[in-house]
Amino acid sequence: MTFISQANETELVTRAQNGDRNAFSELVRIHAHGVMNVVYRMCGDMHIAEDAAQETFIQAWLRFSSYQQKSSLRNWLYRIAVNTAIDMLRKDKRILPNAVEDLHLTDDQAGPEALFLTGERTDLVQGAISTLPDASRAVLILREYEGFSYKEIADSLDIPVGTVMSRLNYARKLLKEKLEVHLFTFAEVEHV
Amino acid sequence: MSDHVIELLGAYLDGELHNGQLRKVVAHLDECLSCQEEYAALQALSLTLQEAPLPDFPSLERFAADVALRLPRKPVIPVRRRALEISWWLVPVGLIATWIFISTVFMVSNMVEAANGFGLLSSASDWLVSGSSSSANYSAFVGQFGFLDAETLQWFTRSERVTRNLISSIFWQVAIGMFYLSWLAIWWARHTRQGLGEALRS
Repeated sequence: MTFISQANETELVTRAQNGDRNAFSELVRIHAHGVMNVVYRMCGDMHIAEDAAQETFIQAWLRFSSYQQKSSLRNWLYRIAVNTAIDMLRKDKRILPNAVEDLHLTDDQAGPEALFLTGERTDLVQGAISTLPDASRAVLILREYEGFSYKEIADSLDIPVGTVMSRLNYARKLLKEKLEVHLFTFAEVEHV
Repeated sequence: MSDHVIELLGAYLDGELHNGQLRKVVAHLDECLSCQEEYAALQALSLTLQEAPLPDFPSLERFAADVALRLPRKPVIPVRRRALEISWWLVPVGLIATWIFISTVFMVSNMVEAANGFGLLSSASDWLVSGSSSSANYSAFVGQFGFLDAETLQWFTRSERVTRNLISSIFWQVAIGMFYLSWLAIWWARHTRQGLGEALRS
């Protein structure tokens, strides 16, 4: 995220809420990377993620009058981003693999180094994330990739902190099961 | 197994435990191999997730330009400002509607009274207007002076009353109309200035 003071962002938000498109474009530049990151992790497809990120900002523009400045703009945008990504995934089922096994990664002869080099590891991880239930996936992404605290996740997704914790535990449990065979291999490759 | 802290290990990894729970997990991890393994697996998972690279996203400038092209033209008006704008219209319109209603009631009432006074409604309207009994006394009183015939004087009096009410009514309606036009002029000036300000900013 581009560095910007809270005062500047507040001023940009006020101007954008009064219909100033330039101020809104500035807000887009500030939050675009974070939003694209979230929707890409939610979708697992670069092109769909770009569309979803654009749609997120369009929805934000249309609903900007309902945004209350006492809450974080980033959290508010991420909530729209998560919902937009989920909607797009529902419209286009083919993006999500049904299981990690569907991915082309079962070349036993290749070895962990080859796996790492060909980038299939990324596909494997992203594929495993994509098989998580929507609600757990959103919580995991905000925690692992955006570094949100549990409180920030709760605010962003409008759920209790206890639910954040239980969804996160569930997501991690599922991911461990799916990636169990590869998990320590990855860790070893990292340290070769 | 109930002594294990597996459900808290994720929160411990994320630095979300405090006080008693934190002490409990730290103490338990010192002793329990099973939970240590579980914690190590969670750390490996977190590391694996965070090191999965991101693709090359479009540049921020290109992305912002694409979004700007797709933004609908519809202006975004805050709820508070929209409510204020609506009240700019509704308040005077409501006042004028109330005034028209009251004026109409008075005008109809005066017309009925005048018509009754001129004898147009004969005795059928006695129940509607309660002034017919006093007209006899009034007639007798004016007749004592002998200047005018009582009936003629009464006719002039009623005509004068109707004219006075009509002029008064027209005066107030013109005043209200001017007030409403001024209100609209102020609203238009504010609206234009705001639009101009935004145009200058952009």
